[in-house]
Amino acid sequence: MNPIVLPIGRQGRLIYLNTDRFKSELLAVSFTAPLAVETAQQNAMVMALARRGTAGYPGLASLNRRLDELYSTAISTSNRRTGDMQTLGFAADFLGARYVGGGLGLLPEVTDMLAELLCRPLFDERGCFTASFVESEKQNLRDAIRAAIHNPRGYAISACRKLLCAGEPYALSVIGSEDTVDALTPEGLAARYRELVSSIAPVFSYVGSTPAAEVAALLEARFSDFGGTPAPYTASVHGGSGLAEKVEEMPLMQGKLSLGFRTDVSLSHPLAPAMLYLNEIFGGSPASKLFLNVRERMSLCYHCSSSLDLYKGILFANSGMKVENRAVAEEAMLQQLADIKAGRISDTELLAARRSIEHSYRQSGDNPGVLARFYTGRILAGNGETVEEWQARLDRVTLPDIVEAAAHVAHRATFFLKGTKTGEEDEEE
Amino acid sequence: MRNEKTYQSELLGEQYTVIRHESGLPIYVFPKKMSTTYALLATDYGAVDATLDAAGARPLPAGVAHFLEHKLFSNEDGTDSFERFSALGADANAYTSHTRTVYLFSCTDRFAESLAELIDFVTHPYFTEESVAKEQGIIGEEIRMCLDNPYDRCYYNMLEGLYRNHPVKTDICGSVASIAEITPQILYDTHSTYYRLSNMALVVCGNVSVQEVLDIADAHLPHVAAEGTVPRRTVPEPATAHLPTVTEQGNVAKPIFSIGVKDTHIPEDPYRRLKRDAAMAILNEMLFSEASELYNTLYDGGLISPELSADYALTRDFGFLQIAGESERPEEVVEVIWSYLERARREGLSPSDFERCRRIEYAEYIKSFDSTEEIANTLLSFVFEGAELFSYADVILGIELADVTALLEELFDPACRTLSVVHPI
Repeated sequence: MNPIVLPIGRQGRLIYLNTDRFKSELLAVSFTAPLAVETAQQNAMVMALARRGTAGYPGLASLNRRLDELYSTAISTSNRRTGDMQTLGFAADFLGARYVGGGLGLLPEVTDMLAELLCRPLFDERGCFTASFVESEKQNLRDAIRAAIHNPRGYAISACRKLLCAGEPYALSVIGSEDTVDALTPEGLAARYRELVSSIAPVFSYVGSTPAAEVAALLEARFSDFGGTPAPYTASVHGGSGLAEKVEEMPLMQGKLSLGFRTDVSLSHPLAPAMLYLNEIFGGSPASKLFLNVRERMSLCYHCSSSLDLYKGILFANSGMKVENRAVAEEAMLQQLADIKAGRISDTELLAARRSIEHSYRQSGDNPGVLARFYTGRILAGNGETVEEWQARLDRVTLPDIVEAAAHVAHRATFFLKGTKTGEEDEEE
Repeated sequence: MRNEKTYQSELLGEQYTVIRHESGLPIYVFPKKMSTTYALLATDYGAVDATLDAAGARPLPAGVAHFLEHKLFSNEDGTDSFERFSALGADANAYTSHTRTVYLFSCTDRFAESLAELIDFVTHPYFTEESVAKEQGIIGEEIRMCLDNPYDRCYYNMLEGLYRNHPVKTDICGSVASIAEITPQILYDTHSTYYRLSNMALVVCGNVSVQEVLDIADAHLPHVAAEGTVPRRTVPEPATAHLPTVTEQGNVAKPIFSIGVKDTHIPEDPYRRLKRDAAMAILNEMLFSEASELYNTLYDGGLISPELSADYALTRDFGFLQIAGESERPEEVVEVIWSYLERARREGLSPSDFERCRRIEYAEYIKSFDSTEEIANTLLSFVFEGAELFSYADVILGIELADVTALLEELFDPACRTLSVVHPI
């Protein structure tokens, strides 16, 4: 299932994936903006306000009732990092035409709803966002920022990312920090909305069986004036230098350790496929070195895994353990990477990694959201690769390639969230 | 002749076949032309099954079902089934809930080998003192991780508030102290009691045929059914909530709450249970979704953060509704909800709201047939609840406003309610 890419309006593109395999269809829109401290939080607020109400549906209740009427169409909002950019968007998941009377089905109405969200903000007579909604969304934003502590694992990874990329856009939160929330105003946010819509190149994606020309025509009719000239995609990659370390305390039973690694290998680098293998062997699956050695053999932790962001060339290894086991766990985790660097990778490990990677790309065809995200991410990053082309590069990876990729991995940050709680669970032992 | 039956849905354009294998294992095959095939082998045994006999004379330490789930992956030859699945390119996992234990894999190739591995490792237990001790370390860390999770704490405290005796209130993982009591013998006894093939089900959904699945089952399962039945212990439980409130301090920025409502009107007939479940799903949508009047009253009044969930759990021996969210004033949230319910009882529910929400349930049901994983898991739920998957479309369409109104009248007695809150430290 290879995509067709069609132009929409001035700067927009449609990634069209034809399939009749699913009972539901997907229509999404995404765009990028530079990830910057001045705008990231405002962008997040603009998206939240759009989802709160539009000119045609001026409140959460009326907006959601309309979506319910469209057979429970779900519209989700996204706000994430792609390299040093902020990627924002809406995705609509809706029932396919054959279940709602045929023809184009719900597609025209769903396209209308996306246009409502993006092109028809709920402005007051001064051309600003509604003050009460702004205040309420500011409070939601404060709550969301503070709620980071509810997820200690995520908190530790996020703190490690800040250490690892200090001074770079990648270190920023996509919802900003609490100290800038008070300064957000209806006027400032309306100005940000106008700047945003005039400086983005929307990427639409559609997964379904309506012919491409009809999907394009529906989008063209609603979004032809939308968008502008976007800032170019950036993702600075480098090996970094030194090791940044930080310990923070929190009233928790466990400690959470996050190790951050820089590589100068991102998506367009020839070693990118090998880096994916490295992550798989290091901590990407239950057959990985972190899982089998640090968890299963040493019995030190319940979760111990690694994750890779190929857009930025960043690798993390994460685990949770008793505070007193931190040193032994850290040493063991780093040893697993050292073994990869030294080429100590068994045939079984390599085979498991190859098959796991094959499996994950083969099954992407079963999920419209995964397919759409793959292509949207690639296109926003200026890379026109198809799933099949990427898979072919992955198939060619050899053990020496993985060892070569490992030479590009440098440990540059360690963050430890030290639990300070000794509860009855420990006393009982 | 083979003991099999095929169910078809014209609406969905789908079908599946059930075969009672001679080993006693019911096998469900749902062919679906997708790249990913998903298989699960499950036992109708979970954390609520807390004894080895119906009389309760042989109690099990809390957390045994979950511990057993972890330990079954270890094999006699020293290998780990996770590694074996990985070598086959399959993605394996397992989970334990209050009522069941499920072992599963997804694959896009080498299905036969993976299914053989699934059947073999689940039906061949092997435990040693050493491997049990090692697992106590790993699960001990899982327990600490859950104790650090305020949402888990809030949920279990809510169950503690609702139930006086029922084992549903026990943490599925158990505690560090309770899992220290687990021995290889306890695991063997539990396995032989609850992993009888007649108490289990194999469900496969994907690009496979019935015959392919049966050939593998024939090669890896016994050809005679084991005798005996599984003990089901009924614990007397009052109709009202055990405690009105349960509070705790935790690592939260804002109080998080979980309101529990105990439901003891549990129909014995599976189809009546299914109907109650469907009616409750519609009522939850009418009351608590972002399109509802009540949600918007709470949200616009600044009483709740945007995320508010309402989930109903109904099984053959327990039922409860959970309404969960974040609020600076959880007690006020309870007051607003109950006065709204009072008014809804007096004035009646809106027929147009009812139609809208029934349509949502219907659409969600159809959309759930796009993923082999979702199909297999939903089919399993229906199997263990004694209901038929495709009948649900008609059940939804058969629900009337009166059914939903009856639930509104019956379910929200304040005496059956508990409020669990985790406050910031």
